[in-house]
Amino acid sequence: MDEILVLAEHREGELRDITFEMLSKARSLGKDAGKSVTALLLGAGVGDYAEALKSHADEVLVLDHGNLKAFNAAVYQQVLSEVLKSREPSLVMIGHTAFGVDLAPGLAVTLELPFASDCIDLAYEGDDLKATRQIYEGKVNATVSFADAPTVLVTFRPSACPVEDAEASAGKVTELDVAVPEEPAMRQFLEYVEAAVGEVDITKADVVVSIGRGLREEENLPMIEELAEALGGVVACSRPCVDAGWLPKDRQVGSSGKTVKPKLYLAIGISGQFQHLSGMKAADTIVAVNKDPKAPIFSEADYGIVGDLMKVVPALKEKIAELRA
Amino acid sequence: MAVSLKETYELLGCIQCGRCTAGCPVGFRTYLNVRKVVYEGLTETGPRDAKGRPEAWNCTTCSNCTDRCPKGVKPMELLIGLRSAAIEKGKAMPTVRDALESTFKHGNPWGRGRDKRMEWAEDLDVPVADEGEEAPLLYFYGCTPAYETRAQDVAKSLVRVFAAAGVPYKTLGTAESDCGNEIWRLGEQGLFELLVEGNTELFRSHGVETIVTSSPHCMNTFKNEYGDLGIEALHYSQFLKELLDEGKLELPTPVEKTVTYHDPCFLGKHNEIYDEPRDVLNAVPGVTFVEFDRSRERALCCEGGGGRMWVEAVEERGERIAEIRVNDAVALGADYLVTACPFCLLTLEDAVKTSGNEGKIEVVDLSELVAMAL
Amino acid sequence: MNIVVCLKQVPETAEAEVKLASDKKGIEMEGLPLQINEADNYALEQALLLTEEHDGDVTVVTLGPDSSDEVLRMSMAKGAAEAVRLAGPAFDRGDPVAIARALAAAVKDLEYDLVLTGCMSSDDGNTAVGMALAECLDLPHATYVTQMEMGDGEVTVGRELEGGLIEKLKMKMPCVLGIQTGINEPRYASIMGIAKASKREIAMKSASDLGLDEGSVGEEGSRTKLEELAYPPVGEGAEILEGTPAESSGKLAEVLREKGFV
Repeated sequence: MDEILVLAEHREGELRDITFEMLSKARSLGKDAGKSVTALLLGAGVGDYAEALKSHADEVLVLDHGNLKAFNAAVYQQVLSEVLKSREPSLVMIGHTAFGVDLAPGLAVTLELPFASDCIDLAYEGDDLKATRQIYEGKVNATVSFADAPTVLVTFRPSACPVEDAEASAGKVTELDVAVPEEPAMRQFLEYVEAAVGEVDITKADVVVSIGRGLREEENLPMIEELAEALGGVVACSRPCVDAGWLPKDRQVGSSGKTVKPKLYLAIGISGQFQHLSGMKAADTIVAVNKDPKAPIFSEADYGIVGDLMKVVPALKEKIAELRA
Repeated sequence: MAVSLKETYELLGCIQCGRCTAGCPVGFRTYLNVRKVVYEGLTETGPRDAKGRPEAWNCTTCSNCTDRCPKGVKPMELLIGLRSAAIEKGKAMPTVRDALESTFKHGNPWGRGRDKRMEWAEDLDVPVADEGEEAPLLYFYGCTPAYETRAQDVAKSLVRVFAAAGVPYKTLGTAESDCGNEIWRLGEQGLFELLVEGNTELFRSHGVETIVTSSPHCMNTFKNEYGDLGIEALHYSQFLKELLDEGKLELPTPVEKTVTYHDPCFLGKHNEIYDEPRDVLNAVPGVTFVEFDRSRERALCCEGGGGRMWVEAVEERGERIAEIRVNDAVALGADYLVTACPFCLLTLEDAVKTSGNEGKIEVVDLSELVAMAL
Repeated sequence: MNIVVCLKQVPETAEAEVKLASDKKGIEMEGLPLQINEADNYALEQALLLTEEHDGDVTVVTLGPDSSDEVLRMSMAKGAAEAVRLAGPAFDRGDPVAIARALAAAVKDLEYDLVLTGCMSSDDGNTAVGMALAECLDLPHATYVTQMEMGDGEVTVGRELEGGLIEKLKMKMPCVLGIQTGINEPRYASIMGIAKASKREIAMKSASDLGLDEGSVGEEGSRTKLEELAYPPVGEGAEILEGTPAESSGKLAEVLREKGFV
């Protein structure tokens, strides 16, 4: 039987959400297309994770080896190549994560696999797989088809697919016997360095007022700080504001920053690139203020105001003050 | 640079009297010491660009130093030259870099798309000249009134006033591009030349005879720095004064306010237009006009010129000049602090907040005051 | 130390409204300003800073239409010594692997200790070309690099992972690094500098110049194919509060009060 193979992603002792998101997607794909779902677990001391994966897959392949302790694209690529060559799954899914984007392109080159990255959806039309990707900073969706090949490779965007409940039927666990090379001298893992924690911990706040590129100038920050204060919240931001030096890194919400789950998330002048959305979509209530009615943030938000933040923010501050009075 | 600073900026005349420094509005609140910069230029002992001399970025190009020099030395031009030398080497602070790149890409320094340039005119009946269509009287609304939320009120007010007076004006719609005044002063001469070339061609293709600008900065560069443009450039205060004199503009509604007037540097000191805005202001019925002590050629600069809207001032200290200006206006008992420049409007309004004068005084552009009286 | 930087020109779409072309295979480019891809600009700056500190030259390489010469000239105005453009219809519509294959053919003949690319582009967003290029060149690689520290024949890099965690790696040179935004502060290229650079030569390379079989690059050499573009469904979730800023924010303030935030 044809299989869809999902590379489980884990870091520092934990399976990452993307793993279960991909398995969920793979299961719904497999159900329609008559394909089984296999989770591939590579790592050192990761045998326990197989339990968690079992109920999400028909089979869990485990390769537990000391040389796989650090994620090293060079090592992982060699191992994956062996596995793919022997099993020939029709589809391989790797997370479009810092881990996946480092690994997948090289694999596509060496194995000459048809490859699409950062897919937000996958569907079979007959035997043909179609992938949906987002281009132009989320403003356009592209449908991509693949050349005829035994195996197709995709990286799949985090938070693009909800995690489905595990099934009662448990998959089987198979130990793999594949030679694992030592970490090569050309690329050696040294350590993980935790991001510095600043004076404000945005992950602990009930109300987060977050700004993006739309703020345009650092000079406009005080207005946002005042609004945050009026709501008893903290100020956070999207990546461009950190790159521009407006706010420190520890205020960044998004995939390369913090993930926040506040009661209220107010996104001001944030267009809503997926990297940002993945860091805040779990908020209870999301409000977006943006000039562009087509901004992706409005798809995630509960309430939206299409307008100039320079006008809306002062007006909102005033209205809140009126309600308070 | 083969040519010395001494020769390029004719520094040899300097007698080190220090009038430049004494008249410098930012000299007392930053470590920009104009006399010293001239001296080190003269003796070839100082840094040759604004990278090595970051205080050169603090200059507001108000022109006091050049105006007051008894020997005809041009320190302001030297400071701009130091910026140019830094820009040539790619050494622009990020905010300046972004403003310049945006001007090149979008035709405005605010980082906004060209297609959004007429957003201010939404819901207003603003005539736009089609490609090649004659526009003998052009209203050049300018980048800041186009995109900056508060400054948009200037353009909105002016088109209301024009409509009331039946002025047969046109705009260039989204085809309008940055005038280049601030770009030149930020030291990006190449970009300035590109803008001059593009704008000149655009104006000629529309048969423009007179340009009326929202901003004294645009007027200044069209009038003084566009070579043989052959087009009359007027600030709107001059134009409104003409309309009033000709009886075309009527202001029937009284505005019962005490107002004072802040001279924008690029209207006053640079172009000696002191009377027209005051005449227009006094044509508004109900207005009680009080004059600042430091007015006309002695007026303080608001620090919004010379590209300073995009410059992070280097090592500032003390009260901002705009705050001094606002405090002085409050002391005069003014309800409105009136000015006639989008940059002054923004810096002064900000200063009202930072000086704790909110609720005590309002900053109003002359165009808005006139529109109130329609 | 010599560094090759692979970069590309992209339309600026952060500000603009993006419209699909009538054939739904591309977007309307008219009115969209062209610029260097943001992450590539950081890669270029990183290369310039490193060669300034450690002596050496920067060579910029791009694959793209004639207009791409602009970003090469801008790069030279900033300090790049040489520029190469892969030009010709054979390279059109390549997928990331085909693009990487073409770039590798041009890069392999250059002298370099490092190859830098932006980690992703704002148009196609593949986040793949740089790492695929490394594989084609058979070089070690790392992407999302936000820190670099040069050693003797090696470089210690910090890769930014999810949550802002930094993964420190020691890499032997030459290697290919995908540079993340924010790693430095890109310099400005003056118009005068760009004008001067416009007199400098750009080495044009066709597929045959590079000894590439035309069927191995561009659309023909790609194993994925763009079928169709569409606008993503938007605004599904959000209840839009209409009105003037005062009205809409009034409604929002009410909502916030109902929910107990005010």
